[in-house]
Amino acid sequence: MVRKKNPVTTAEILIAPPFTRRGIRHGFLRAQPLAWSVLLYGMMFGVLASSAALSALESLLMSALVYSGSAQMAALQGWSGAPQILPIVVTILIMNARYVLYGAALRPWLGGLDAPRAYLSLFLLGDGNWALAMKEREAGDDDAGFLLGSGLVMFIGWTVGTLIGHLLGSLVARPELFGVDFLLTAFSAALMMGMFRGRRDLWPAIGTIFIAVVAAQFLGSGWVIVLSGLAAAIIGYVAHVDRA
Amino acid sequence: MSIAPDFLLALLAMGLASFACRAGGFFLMRFVTVTPRLEAALRILPLGVMIGIVAPVAALGKIPELIGLGLVLLLMKVTGNDFLAALSGIVAVAIIRQLL
Repeated sequence: MVRKKNPVTTAEILIAPPFTRRGIRHGFLRAQPLAWSVLLYGMMFGVLASSAALSALESLLMSALVYSGSAQMAALQGWSGAPQILPIVVTILIMNARYVLYGAALRPWLGGLDAPRAYLSLFLLGDGNWALAMKEREAGDDDAGFLLGSGLVMFIGWTVGTLIGHLLGSLVARPELFGVDFLLTAFSAALMMGMFRGRRDLWPAIGTIFIAVVAAQFLGSGWVIVLSGLAAAIIGYVAHVDRA
Repeated sequence: MSIAPDFLLALLAMGLASFACRAGGFFLMRFVTVTPRLEAALRILPLGVMIGIVAPVAALGKIPELIGLGLVLLLMKVTGNDFLAALSGIVAVAIIRQLL
């Protein structure tokens, strides 16, 4: 007689969320405004890349493979003829460390999907569509296609924007005069306002502002971002009150 | 259109590092139980990330950036449209920098 084994051994008992064509379409359409801003941001990167003497193909491949504005711009800082791999990889890990946190937050939702769908959605994940999708799910629509659709439209905006920017690159001599370097800050400030949920976020926010400003005196922006995210999470964790 | 071989190598390493970040947190959480307390922490985390980007810039106290940020926050409060708010802030910074 063979003893029946219980297949469920881990804490992971997740029901597969719906993943429909309708969800993908919905995400694709909902993220349109974001896609336009990403297109613009991609153009800025294209301009910077062309001024760093990257070819159009190199810029496009970088945008498609790395797909992270802040990381790519940071990698371009001090870019010279022969790129040094280790410092650049470390830079990308630092600038993109926040995605580790985004992915962690997605586990309860995407955990029930099969691997190709889940990891394709993660490949296309951006700051904007992540925030948008988390909001959508909280509002009651748990169709995981939303994340893929919104990610896809942003990915298209980013890569197409990179190409356009690269073609225009030579026309823009001093991009900082057009506020290019202020782009990430401006969008972050807008998203920050949208994410702030009033009183319960007040003390974590104040604590994090303090930590961010102090840390910025000693550390590069990538570390400051990671520290700030962790600080908010830790304060949120400690201050959490279970509502019975 | 051209591409250098050592550039391609660097690019592959960059792409791999980037995807490792995107997939890593999701993968690792497979082995963690998400309690309500942990979920509360995961929820407030994005706000912290945004603060980590904005606060250091504000703390530098440069006039164009401060006005730009003020405009973004104001328009966000009034319109709730993040694209409009951010774009206005960028335009404001660009204009003020030309003037100063």
